[in-house]
Amino acid sequence: MITRTVPSAVGISVPALPGRAVTRLAVRQLRRSGLIVLVLVAALPALVASTYTSVMADPAAAGSIAALAANPAIRTLFGEPIALEQAGGFTVWRVGTFLAVLLAAWAILATTRITRGEEDAGRWDVLLAGRVPLREAVARHLGAVMVVPVAAGVAVTVVLLLAGTDSAGAAVHGAGVGVLGLFFVAVAGLAAQVFPTRAAATGTAVAVLGAALLTRMVGDGLNGFGWLRWLSPLGLLAVSEPYARNRIMPLLILLAAAVLLAGAAVAAAGRRDVRGGLIAVAAGRRPRLMLLSGVGAFAVRRMLRPLSGWVLGIGAYYLLIGFTTVSVTEFLTANPALAEEAARAGFTALGAVEGFAATLFALLALPVGGFTAVRVSAFVAAENSRNLTLLTAQPVTRSRLLTAEIAATAAGAIAQVCVAGFAVWAGIAATGGDLSLSAALGGAWNTLSVVLLSLGAATLAAGWAPRAAAFAGSLPATGGFLLLVIADSVGAPGWVRGLSPFAHLAPVPLTAVDWTSTLIMITLGVALCVAGVMGYRRRDLQG
Amino acid sequence: MNDLALRAINLTKRYGRFTALDDLCLEVPVGEVFGFLGPNGAGKSTTIRLLLGQVRPTAGRAWVFDSDAADVARAHRSLAYVPADVALWPQLTGAEILHLQACTGPGVDLAYRDELVRRFALDTSKPARTYSTGNRQKVALVAAFATRAPLLILDEPTSGLDPLMEREFRIAVAEARDRGQTVFLSSHQLAEVEAVCDRVAILRAGRLVEIATIEQLRGLHRAEVTVSYIGVPPPGLDLVPGVDTVEQVSPGRLRFSLIGSPAPALRALAAAEVTALAIREPNLEEIFLDYYGAAEGAR
Repeated sequence: MITRTVPSAVGISVPALPGRAVTRLAVRQLRRSGLIVLVLVAALPALVASTYTSVMADPAAAGSIAALAANPAIRTLFGEPIALEQAGGFTVWRVGTFLAVLLAAWAILATTRITRGEEDAGRWDVLLAGRVPLREAVARHLGAVMVVPVAAGVAVTVVLLLAGTDSAGAAVHGAGVGVLGLFFVAVAGLAAQVFPTRAAATGTAVAVLGAALLTRMVGDGLNGFGWLRWLSPLGLLAVSEPYARNRIMPLLILLAAAVLLAGAAVAAAGRRDVRGGLIAVAAGRRPRLMLLSGVGAFAVRRMLRPLSGWVLGIGAYYLLIGFTTVSVTEFLTANPALAEEAARAGFTALGAVEGFAATLFALLALPVGGFTAVRVSAFVAAENSRNLTLLTAQPVTRSRLLTAEIAATAAGAIAQVCVAGFAVWAGIAATGGDLSLSAALGGAWNTLSVVLLSLGAATLAAGWAPRAAAFAGSLPATGGFLLLVIADSVGAPGWVRGLSPFAHLAPVPLTAVDWTSTLIMITLGVALCVAGVMGYRRRDLQG
Repeated sequence: MNDLALRAINLTKRYGRFTALDDLCLEVPVGEVFGFLGPNGAGKSTTIRLLLGQVRPTAGRAWVFDSDAADVARAHRSLAYVPADVALWPQLTGAEILHLQACTGPGVDLAYRDELVRRFALDTSKPARTYSTGNRQKVALVAAFATRAPLLILDEPTSGLDPLMEREFRIAVAEARDRGQTVFLSSHQLAEVEAVCDRVAILRAGRLVEIATIEQLRGLHRAEVTVSYIGVPPPGLDLVPGVDTVEQVSPGRLRFSLIGSPAPALRALAAAEVTALAIREPNLEEIFLDYYGAAEGAR
């Protein structure tokens, strides 16, 4: 009889559990961003819940906020306000959706980055030549990402319990946030098996998130369409009604969907080729030579596909805002006490169409500033993966390369801002409201100074500390916004609040543009870009 | 007009305490095919990245023709480059990448490019994501050879090519030489360097250890001499300068290694009745191993 044996020898170590090494690899790639998300998800409800007593000290204010539930437009934008008479319910209404979207977005980006991204970059070829099969590698990576939403759910529950809110509500809200995170890990995991590229997988999963958000908004806002919320993961969180009815069923449905999708992802991983997807890439095509004529044109070409995704998302959101503006402002004008309360909660002059639009235009700097950070860090990633090497060997200066990227990104940002302004105007005009197109565009353009700061910070990092490009780029917009919210919530001294660019943004079109601070921010943004280009000219290229 | 295509003076690159390239002085005249040899990690790619202005020297300077290597907009107007590990934009097809390179490059001969695509059997309709290592290399090679730039800098350009394609590569290098282009070829394929290069430099641990024509290198290294004779063996052969490791292969047959001029050894052999004499010159691989092995031993 012939038996096949593995040749054994002294000094050869054969680890018994090679899968654990794969899990450790996945954890290593997640721990930093995972911890940041975890801290944010735990800190925001803690802040809001602890300041609830001071906001609600006035019983009249509490009553008028509760009246918000009657208005469909408010429900569309901020979710259905329920159980506002409790700190827990108020917290869920104020930051619940934001936290859920934040966690879902992280889950999607992290999942596709460490699965399809690593595989696409060829780093899984060696990994999978080891003893761990593709299916197990995918399962272990998904499992590692899923730890973060579970921990986030537990953290939210613990924080809300510590704040002294009702235990059932805390458990339902925490569980909802956690299960939602699991669901989007599963969605992204499945998309990463279906599509052979990271960009397509991420785009598809983000589109699912966007559709979930819009479905929930429509379901919350339009009477008779409430059932739509049962079809949306974010809607299921809303119908679980933490601190009110504390329903478990919607969360079980969401959990079942997450388990099903994760199972499908692992099963699909067992049926496909490494580096391939369930959907095959076209084997060949006719050349498309448009926008390849130079460095600038090529920067635009690389941006077009991601830009169309951002424009679609921003356009849909701001169109919805336009549609609801008239209803919200009329409602607030009819309830002056409520408008006053909203002003105290940080939403100034919501009673006027211009004031309402101005408040929501300020938020525009977040996604558009994020876009600039993502584009600049994609440029740095192209340098690291050596895709840029052939271009850097052409008779093109470094400053030209980076300037072309900055110019294309700035043009993309302006396009998004214009789309948002136009969408708000169109939505308001369609519902019979009164806001001129120039006022709407003016309000949207006003946010460009903050966007330019984001672009400048990302460029500065690209020149001097390329690994920090994404982080630095998200500081002015996302960081500044969080700083303002937190400073307002805890009553921080004025200079802390003043560090946020949003503190210097005039509410256009309610008031005129504050040209002094706008010019200061533009000058600072341009200076950051110039300093970044100078650093990029001097430093060694990576890769 | 400068008759040097490449010039490096005291070119040094340190990363922290690690010295990747130490005081490199190098001149490559116009029209030469110059081989650049060295074991892994010797600093070949670092040198090339310095010559391309992709990294900044810690000390020293480099010129491409008349321009400072750091002035890439000028220097790169007269060169084309093939990187060691070619990474292409995954979403673009081969044809699109060739078009982009042509539009941003120092000028291109489109007819010759089409001919090269045919000769290298490159399917340019595929997206780069689906290309193998060899095919990615072919895209970069076609783009570089099609430019007709006066200087071609090739960093291990054939490591992923099959023997047929390697032959096409050698033909393309020969065509480039015939057109008067200068070729700077970094390679591990010693047979290839031997076949196409006029002069070679050998780099080890960031230092230049030798720079010479292949003929000169041969003269500096041991040739293997086999002698057949009748009767008494040639006396005192092992005392002749340059002769080493004399061994009796069989009765009437001797083998020894020889460095330098063969004249003293031939005089010593004249004392015997020599019936046959064979001298085998060292190939580049043996020369290379000689340098590398000796240096390893001296460490």
